[in-house]
Amino acid sequence: MTQTNRLKQGGRIDRSKVLSFSFNGKTYQGHAGDTLAAALLANGIDVVNRSFKYSRPRGVVAAGAEEPNALFQLGQTEAAQVPNVRATQQALYNGLTVRSTNGWPNVQKDMMSWVGKLGGGFMPPGFYYKTFMAPASMWMTYEKYIRKGAGLGRAPKESDPDIYDHLNQHCDVLVIGAGPAGLSAALSAASSGARVILCDEQEEMGGSLLDSRETLDGAPAAQWAEKTLESLAGMDNVTLLPRTTANGYHDHNFVTLHERRTEHLGDTAATVNNCRQARSRMHRVRADQVVLATGTHERPLVYANNDVPGNMLAGAVSNYIQRYAVVPGSKLVLSTTNDHAYRAALDWAEAGREVVAIVDARANPDGDLVKEAQAKGIRLITGSAVIEGKGANRVTGARVAKIDAERFAVTGQVEELVCDTIASSGGYSPVVHLASHTGSRPTWRDDILGFVPGKVAGMHFAGGVQGIYTLAEVLGDGAQAGSQATKASGIDTLKDIALPSVDSPRESPACALYQVPHEKPTLRAPKQFVDQQNDVTAAGIEVATREGFESIEHVKRYTALGFGTDQGKLGNINGMAIAARFLKRSIPEVGTTVFRPNYTPVSFGAIAGRHAKELFDPERYTAMHQWHVEHGAEFEDVGQWKRPWYFPRKVNGKLETMHEAVSRESLAVRTGVGILDATTLGKIDIQGPDAREFLGRVYTNKWAKLAPGRVRYGLMCKDDGMLMDDGTTSCLGENHFLMTTTTGGAAGVMEWLELWHQTEWPELQVYFTSVTDHWATMTVTGPDARKLLSEVTDIDLDKEQFKFMDWRNGKVADVPARVFRISFTGELAYEINVQANYALHVWKTLFEHGKKYDLTPYGTETMHVLRAEKGLIIAGQDTDGSVTPEDLGMYWAIGYDKPYSWIGKRALTRSDTARKDRKQLVGLKPTDPKVVLEEGAQIVFDPNEEIPMTMQGHVTSSYYSPNLEHGFALAVVKGGQERMGQKVYLPMSDGVTHEAEIVSTVFIDPKGERQHV
Amino acid sequence: MSDQTYGNVAVFDTRPEKSITTESPLSVAYHQGQAPKPTQQSQVVLEEKPFLGHLILRGGAIVLDEAVRDVLGMSLPGRPLGLAHDSSGERSVQWLSPDEWLVIVPGGEEFDLENRLREKLGNAHFAILNVSGGQTLVELSGEKAREVLMKSVPYDVHPANFPVGKAVSVVFAKSSAILRRPSEERYELVLRRSFADYCYRWLLDAGEEFGIGVKR
Repeated sequence: MTQTNRLKQGGRIDRSKVLSFSFNGKTYQGHAGDTLAAALLANGIDVVNRSFKYSRPRGVVAAGAEEPNALFQLGQTEAAQVPNVRATQQALYNGLTVRSTNGWPNVQKDMMSWVGKLGGGFMPPGFYYKTFMAPASMWMTYEKYIRKGAGLGRAPKESDPDIYDHLNQHCDVLVIGAGPAGLSAALSAASSGARVILCDEQEEMGGSLLDSRETLDGAPAAQWAEKTLESLAGMDNVTLLPRTTANGYHDHNFVTLHERRTEHLGDTAATVNNCRQARSRMHRVRADQVVLATGTHERPLVYANNDVPGNMLAGAVSNYIQRYAVVPGSKLVLSTTNDHAYRAALDWAEAGREVVAIVDARANPDGDLVKEAQAKGIRLITGSAVIEGKGANRVTGARVAKIDAERFAVTGQVEELVCDTIASSGGYSPVVHLASHTGSRPTWRDDILGFVPGKVAGMHFAGGVQGIYTLAEVLGDGAQAGSQATKASGIDTLKDIALPSVDSPRESPACALYQVPHEKPTLRAPKQFVDQQNDVTAAGIEVATREGFESIEHVKRYTALGFGTDQGKLGNINGMAIAARFLKRSIPEVGTTVFRPNYTPVSFGAIAGRHAKELFDPERYTAMHQWHVEHGAEFEDVGQWKRPWYFPRKVNGKLETMHEAVSRESLAVRTGVGILDATTLGKIDIQGPDAREFLGRVYTNKWAKLAPGRVRYGLMCKDDGMLMDDGTTSCLGENHFLMTTTTGGAAGVMEWLELWHQTEWPELQVYFTSVTDHWATMTVTGPDARKLLSEVTDIDLDKEQFKFMDWRNGKVADVPARVFRISFTGELAYEINVQANYALHVWKTLFEHGKKYDLTPYGTETMHVLRAEKGLIIAGQDTDGSVTPEDLGMYWAIGYDKPYSWIGKRALTRSDTARKDRKQLVGLKPTDPKVVLEEGAQIVFDPNEEIPMTMQGHVTSSYYSPNLEHGFALAVVKGGQERMGQKVYLPMSDGVTHEAEIVSTVFIDPKGERQHV
Repeated sequence: MSDQTYGNVAVFDTRPEKSITTESPLSVAYHQGQAPKPTQQSQVVLEEKPFLGHLILRGGAIVLDEAVRDVLGMSLPGRPLGLAHDSSGERSVQWLSPDEWLVIVPGGEEFDLENRLREKLGNAHFAILNVSGGQTLVELSGEKAREVLMKSVPYDVHPANFPVGKAVSVVFAKSSAILRRPSEERYELVLRRSFADYCYRWLLDAGEEFGIGVKR
């Protein structure tokens, strides 16, 4: 394959480096420095894709992020697939493999195109909404086929082999865009000593300077860019980020930049020194000030068949010739409204190819570039425009006529010019996207025929983005924005920078033209595309306005104008101008739609960074975690903690099911001795002379008389009287307490205590400190617990010396320990607390001595069964933020007569909390002992009531009890405390109705004899 | 050792007299072999300093400062986010919040230190907490240490903002940590025990491209 469109000389490519790439299965060659789009054009490839809705052949239109058509599926292997890669933004590398995202069997002979041709007329805007509305249940089926036909890329089916990460960056001044404005802004800010980040989305920094015909200090503009970048690179207060797109501008000058680190080198990132490298990186920049120097996007003209391959932006033509030495055709017709676009014709002519004509919408253009073109002998047709392109897979001609833009009419004879390329320019749209991301609306300026950014705090604008277009002014404006931003960041000593002298041509004013009139009315003329990526035509916008969609936001949604990955880069302003004409309003009256992050698509990998797989969320481990892993524990997530759920054993070569393991563990605790890792319970150390008083105010029960050495269970309510947490608190000293909380509630309780202390009772002298991680806690429980513990401790375990709800200190397995005689199982139990670094030793020692007692480790599931058998609640399972201590029947833990009111007390006397028919906690015993009720199941009193039945409560906890040998449950039932012994019914979704009896919540040892032994 | 009381507060020496096996919060990762050895190409080196004495001091700055000067021979850091070391560099005091400081001393000194401080402070309103089992110290050094931190914490770790002698509680990935700058060459992270494994694995992952090594 030869690169037919490659010039022998010029461009910023390295001709000595030949790179092979594959496009739709065929191999081609390009050069180092090419973008994929440049290489495709160099090889004379016209059709690169099929359009989204009408399946029309499409070619490369632009040279940057605004490209609507050249979207590819990239990747040689399944795992490396990347969808919707823009050829204009993808650097060429050896082995690059892409396919068109649309077109079957291939883009040249597309089987779907008949749909576009035949069905095109029947696919007005809103087609999908209207056609596939009913029945709603069929939408899923329709959608599958619509998607298949519509194309766009697909996600890989295999796991991504690459790694990604985030980098948090901070700077005084973030400059977005490294064209002339951005470079001078960065140089100005950096020279004054500001910490500067300069990012640019292209392979090479320099922006418009890289394809400029102008000179700076007498040398080509690109040289000044190189020199400036070199000096910036040498400053240690400057970070240069090429290949980095500023995709999202968020509140408080938080900007997300997406850096493509290895995408220009290969499908997957290569290792360096055997170390994997991140393929993409998200820079999370917190900038004091932002300089937006994003320049402009050229606006194409909207004329008939403006989507046939060979129709391009004028600036893109210049870009391909100047930067890549690629002339994308032989015979050019340029249709323009301004002087700047003349560069395309001049570059084309200088490349030795034919410029058929320049068609200028203005009556008397007379700028320097116009004169230069005329001097070269190029035919100039004024007051006219290309009204229609000819050709199917490539432009074959242009129909040109005199027009009246004001009256929107063709006013003269149509002349057909033979050509293969039509370049158009309808002016320039400032790239305001980032400035709009936080909600600031752009404002229209008639003098530049474009929207400029609205005000954004902490953001400065430089150059093209605010409608400043001549190079000398752009450089000056950049320097000024740079120093303004520096000053605003708090640096007072500003240094001026020397700006180069510029030799710019004088330009004559542009004229306003968006949609070009055709001899036929818009609805009958050949399609005039506004948004090529979403196949939105001028006629589509007209139909939308006729159907009553007057707001531009509605027009957008009805037609899909500027949707998705496109974000309105090429089409939005034309679309608004066209809507304005149909609605007989001005452009500013119509206004813009909202631009949203991201500016260009970002891969999910870059968004996720290293928050993936095992690092997706923190896993909190206890000091015994490794032991649990080695002993085959299944884990349950409790908050972020990994808690052993149960410890399945191998029985006859088969691993126990959870049910089997839990039965075995439960029986072991009731008949022998078990051990639980209870480290995860929250622990808060409370010190100070007012500690006791404070406890009395945050707990519902009394704390005035709890003596050192004693432990008490407490209930904590929110100010609405609803239970929020529970736990035991021990008196360590007269002014010293240790509070425990639920595992999930620990952080919330800590905040709650601090909140009340800091805002309501700052006069109380008390300090709270979390000691959850300092202590490891192991619960030894069961009839044999005392025997086992006595072997490894010097603490006197005599039942009179060390009673239920006492705590003592001493040594366990030679390690200083605090031992609390509290029980969450109803059995004799000791909770051993040791400093966490020694915990594993203590745990293992207990097992050495525990062998003869068959010490059984148990997990949270068995813990749940055992505590429920004893009627002990779990805050958050048996309560849900609407349950008072009275609803739980815990009157014994409510200090109605405490001298100082406590949080939630007043709420308990509200009429709603005091009424008798509230849902109250009860036990349920299913009539059929084999039945284990479903947690969450609704309870009714009359099983024969018609649906909808009156719901009288629901099951909160339900298990099978191997000790009782039947199922049992805790539930909340309306007026339940008065309904002991009554039958209730639980109708299930499978049609079965279970019967159960309301019983006490305490199923085992109601007198507490077992835990008091 | 058993409980003693000072001003109705129980103090407790958690260290055993006998030598027994101790396990740092990173032991799970070590057991699982997640500790690549440093090489010539390691641009970041991680080293845990386990089993140090960590005390939290709560109270008014003026009261505490006097006691700390008497007992430790050094002042509380004068400013928020301050980190001060004694002349040996082995003992440090760090500002955590307006009435909260973190003291880190060689392992084994913490109980004696707590008792001496309590004696000095007498009836003043204060609290001292031994949290030595609840956290561990991890040191990062090497030319890419700062970049690894930039991947991990949103706080600005540029020397202009984070000079030697500064310490700050930071968001660390999806957890939190205390970040300290004891010297030009080193950064320290104080990690909560239960989150330490996550933070450690995060650091290894973030440091992978720089050939991170773990000194043990």
